[in-house]
Amino acid sequence: MSPTQRSGQLQKRSTRVLKTIVILGFVILLFRLIQLQILNFDTYAPLSMKNSLRMEVVPASRGIIMDRNQKILVENTPVYAITVTPSLFDEEKIPLLAQLSGFPEEEIETRLRAARSYSWHRTSILFQEVSFDIFSSIEENIWRLPGIGNQIGSRRNYPGEVLAPHIFGYLREASPEDLKQNKELQMGDQVGRSGLELTYQQELRGDKGARYIRVNAFGASLGEFPVEDLDRDPVRGSHLITTLDAELQQLGETLMEGKTGAIVAMDPTNGEILSLVSAPQFDPEKLSSTTDPEYWQQVNADSLTPLFNRAISSRQPPGSTFKPFMGLFGMDLNLITPRTEIVSTGPYIRGRAYGDTAEPGVYDLEKALAKSSNYYFFWMMERIATRGHLNRWSAKMKDFGMGEKTGIDLPFERSGIMPDSTWMNQTFGERKWGVGDLMSLGIGQGMVSVSPLQMVVAASVIANGGYVVKPHIVKEVIYPDQSRTSVAVERRRVEWLRESDLQVVREGMRRVVTEGGGRFYVNMQDVAVAGKTGTAQNPHGRDHGWFISFAPAEDPKIVVAVLLENSGFGSISAAPVASLMIEQYLKGTIERTRVLDYVMNFDVVEIEARRAEREREAEEARTQQEAGEAQGTQGTQEARETQEVQGEIR
Amino acid sequence: MIEFGKLNWRLIGIWVLLSAAGLTAIYSATRGPVSEFLPGFIVNNFNRQLVWVGASALMIIIVQFISPRTFQGAAYIFYGFGVVLMILTLFAGVEINGSKSWIRVGPVNVQAGLLTLPATILAVSNYLTRKRNITSEDIRTALTALAFFLVPVLLLLLQNETGLALVFLLLIPVMLFWSGLPSGITLLIISPGIIGYFSILDWRLGLTSAILIAGITFVLQRRMWISLSALVLGLVIIGGLEFAFQQVLQPHQIARIQSFANPSLDPQGSGWNILQAKTAIGSGGLTGKGFMEGTQTQLRFLPEQWTDFIYCVVAEEFGFLGAGGLILLFTLLFITLLNMVGSHKNPFAQLVMVGFTFLLFIQFIINIGSATSLIPIIGIPLPFISYGGAAFLINSLMIAVCLNFDLYKRSFSIYS
Repeated sequence: MSPTQRSGQLQKRSTRVLKTIVILGFVILLFRLIQLQILNFDTYAPLSMKNSLRMEVVPASRGIIMDRNQKILVENTPVYAITVTPSLFDEEKIPLLAQLSGFPEEEIETRLRAARSYSWHRTSILFQEVSFDIFSSIEENIWRLPGIGNQIGSRRNYPGEVLAPHIFGYLREASPEDLKQNKELQMGDQVGRSGLELTYQQELRGDKGARYIRVNAFGASLGEFPVEDLDRDPVRGSHLITTLDAELQQLGETLMEGKTGAIVAMDPTNGEILSLVSAPQFDPEKLSSTTDPEYWQQVNADSLTPLFNRAISSRQPPGSTFKPFMGLFGMDLNLITPRTEIVSTGPYIRGRAYGDTAEPGVYDLEKALAKSSNYYFFWMMERIATRGHLNRWSAKMKDFGMGEKTGIDLPFERSGIMPDSTWMNQTFGERKWGVGDLMSLGIGQGMVSVSPLQMVVAASVIANGGYVVKPHIVKEVIYPDQSRTSVAVERRRVEWLRESDLQVVREGMRRVVTEGGGRFYVNMQDVAVAGKTGTAQNPHGRDHGWFISFAPAEDPKIVVAVLLENSGFGSISAAPVASLMIEQYLKGTIERTRVLDYVMNFDVVEIEARRAEREREAEEARTQQEAGEAQGTQGTQEARETQEVQGEIR
Repeated sequence: MIEFGKLNWRLIGIWVLLSAAGLTAIYSATRGPVSEFLPGFIVNNFNRQLVWVGASALMIIIVQFISPRTFQGAAYIFYGFGVVLMILTLFAGVEINGSKSWIRVGPVNVQAGLLTLPATILAVSNYLTRKRNITSEDIRTALTALAFFLVPVLLLLLQNETGLALVFLLLIPVMLFWSGLPSGITLLIISPGIIGYFSILDWRLGLTSAILIAGITFVLQRRMWISLSALVLGLVIIGGLEFAFQQVLQPHQIARIQSFANPSLDPQGSGWNILQAKTAIGSGGLTGKGFMEGTQTQLRFLPEQWTDFIYCVVAEEFGFLGAGGLILLFTLLFITLLNMVGSHKNPFAQLVMVGFTFLLFIQFIINIGSATSLIPIIGIPLPFISYGGAAFLINSLMIAVCLNFDLYKRSFSIYS
C-alpha cells in the first residue's frame, strides 16, 4: 500500500467524519426547529400575541354628585397623567424625562422608587395632573422613553358655588395601605378620604375598563388593536342625588365665612339634610391635588382645624337649647304639668347659688322656655337628681338623639355625652359625685355635650310630632344602567312623648321667637318660626352661641341648628344665621337685608363693646328714672334688646 | 482562459440563494414597519449590504483569474499582515459595541480579526501540508500549528471579541484532525467543550458525557493514557464548574450562564432576549407570519435582529419551511464544499477548504444554536445572512478561493 493510497483512504474516512458532523448539526437544528415551531407552536403563538398586545387600564369616570334638584355639585374634569412601567424604564432616560417634564431629576428618581416598590411590572402613575403642554411634549417623545406612558384621568371639579367640603369630602392618592387592602386599586388612583367620597366610595368609583393596544418592545403604543372582544369598556361610577338644596347650602357657606361653627338644616319629616356647613372650610380641589403639598400642610396645621367637621363631630354643651327637652321629660316624669308654676326668686339656691339672668317672677313651662328661665329648670333638675332619676333622664334624652350617633351617611361622626350614673362613676369615681355636679345638666351645661346634627335631629322630634328621623344626605343612587335606588327614610316614634306635651313645648319655642331672645333677628311677619336660643359655657374663651329652630311652626318643613363658636349669646349670633336659612328655604329669597348685613358683618367684640356702652347708659337712665319718677316706659328698642340679651341664659 | 463549464455552479447557486435570503431577511428586519423604531443608519443597512453583495460577486469573479498557487505562496504574508493589523487595532482601533476590533483604513472600518481568520487557515494549511501527517508521536508539529492559531486568538480576546476567538479555537481540532491527528486525541481536545456544555445543564449529564468520551477514545485509540486523561480532564471540568457555581459565581451570574436552558432564571437580562427569540421562532409555526409581518420582528422585540438574531426573523416570518429550508441550504453548502475537498488532490487546497468549510459551519451552528437557545447566547453573525458587509465579503472570499481551487484542481494537484 503506497503512502498516497493510505492517505487517500484516511482522507476518505476523515471526509466522512466531517460530513457526519455536518449532517449531525443539521439534524440537531432541524429537530430543534420542529420542537419550537411545530410542537410548541401553541405555546409560543399566544405568547407572541400577548407580547405585542398590552392591556391599558381605562379609568372609570367617578360618579357625579347632584343636589335635590339634580343640579350638579361635583363632577369630573380631565387631567393628564404620566405613567411608568419600571421594568421597561431605562434609568439613563431620567435626564431626558426631567427635561421634557420640567420636574427635577431627584423627584423623578423618588417617584420611580415608589413605583418600583409598588410593582416592577405593573404600570404606575409617575406624575399626576401634568399640564397639557408637558403631557404633549412627553407624548411626542414617547418612543425615546421606553416604559413611559400616559393616562388621561380625571379630577374632581365643583362647578357651582357650593364647595361643601365637609359633605363631599376630598380625594387623595391611594396610600400603600389602601393598595394592600384593595387589589383593584392602582398606584396613583384617587380614593375618597372623607365625606360622601369615602362613604359612597364603592358606588362612586365605578369599574375600570381595559383596552388592548399594539405595542413594540419599548411599550410605545402603536394604536388600538382590533380585537374588540378583549376590550372592556369602563363602567362609570354611580351618580348620587343628594338631599341638599344647592342655594341653601351656598347661603350657609356664605353666612359662615370668617366664622367658626356649623349649620345643619334638615327636613324634619324624612331626615333629608338640606344643608350642612362646617366652618372654616377648606378647598377640596386644592387638597386633592398632588401638586400642592403646602396647602395640605397648611390645612393640617391650622389651629381652627378646617378639616374637622364641626356639624357632625363637634361636642359642645347645648346650653339652653336643651330646655325644651327637659320640659318634655319633666312632663313625662309627672314632675311638672304645663300649668305648673314655679316662682323664681332670682338665683337658684341649692348648696350654692346658681345664677339666672331671667327676671324673677312666676313661670310656667311655656314662659320658662320663652324667657329661658334657669330657675325653672334648676328646680326640675334638683328633683330629678335627688329622686334618683338620673339614668332615666339620660336614657330619655338619648331617645331624642342627643349624645348618640345619628347614623348619618358621613364618616367620622361622634356621639357626644349624655351622662348617666355609670358615666359619672367612671369620670368622677364612685360616690365621688353628687347632686351639685348634676344641677347644671338641667340647663344644658357641664358634662352634657352634643353635635349640631344631634340638635337638629332632637329639634325635629318636637317639630314632627315625636319622631326620631335618621338624617341622610344621599337620596338616590343612579347606577350606570340608569336604575335607581332610593335611600329609605328611617324614622322611629319616641313612644313616651305625648302630643299635648309637644304642643306646649312648641308653643314655648314659638314664644321664644315672638317675645323671647329670638324676637330681634328671627321673628318674621309671614313665616312662623319656633326656636330656642342657647349659650354654651366655654372655659377656654368666649362662649359658643346656639340656636335650634323649625318653621313654619304649625307644619314644620325645615329644622335648623346653628352653632357659632366663640361668638357670645346665641340670640345675637346663631339665631340670625338660622333665621336667614329658614327664610331662604321657605321663601326662596332673603328679604331681610338688615339681618343679612348684620350676619355678614357680625363682629362679637364690637357688639359686646357697644352693649357694654348701652348697659352703662341704661343704668344711668334707670338711676335717673328711679331718682325722678316712679315707673316709666323704657326707651328705645335697642335698650330693650340689651335687656333681653342680658336675659339670655348663661 | 477560464473554462466556465468547470466552475462549480452548484456552489455558486447556493451562494446566490444564501445572499438573496440574507438580503430578504435584512430588508424585513430593517425596512419593515419596524423601521419606525430604528435609527436612520440602521434603516440604511440594506442598501449598504446590497453594495457589499455586488462587490463580493465581482470579487468572486476576479478571484477566479488568480492562480491557486498564489494563495499558498502568499499564505504567510497574509497571515503576517493580518496579525500586524490586529496588533495595530489594539492600539489605534475604534471601539464599536464594546469591542475594540475595528481599525479605520481610509474611508472604511476594517475588522482585522475577520481578515485574519482565512489568512490563518491558509498559513496553518501551508505549514501542515509541508510537514505532512501528524501522529501522536509528532506532537511538536501540532503544537506549532496551535501557535499559529493562538496568536490571533489571544489578540481577539484582548479586543474583547470572545465569540470570534471561540470560533477560532473550535477550528483547531478540525484542522489538526484532517492533517492526521488521531481521532481519539481530537476528541480529547474537544472534550472539555462537550463536557462543559453538559455540565452547565446538569453535572450528571457532564459526568455521563465524560465517561462516554473516555470510552470512545479507548475504542478509537486503544491507549489507556488517552482515555484516562480524557476522564481526568472531564472530572476536573465538572468539578471546576460545580465549584464555580457553588463558591465563586454570584447567583445572577449563574442565572445568566444557565438562562439559555431556562430563560426564567434571568427574565430581565439575557433571559428576556432568549425568551423573545424563542417566541419569535416558535410563533412562526409551519408557514410563518409572512414577509414583514412578524410581530416579534416588526415590533422590535428581538435584539440585534439584523445581525446575531436574524435567524429569528427568517423563522418567524417564513416559518418552519423557511427556517428549515435555510439550514438545509447551509448543509448543502457544507456538503458541496466537503465533496470538493474529496475530489481534490492537493493537500494544501484540501486543508484550506476543510478549514473554510468549518469556519462557516462553526459560525452557523453557534448562531442558530444561540437563536434557538440550544447553547448560551454567543454573539456571532450568521454567514451570508446577517448584516455586515466586511464579513460577507470575507465569507464570499472563502467561497471564491474554494471555487478557484476547484476550478484549477487538475493543474494545481499535478504541480504540487
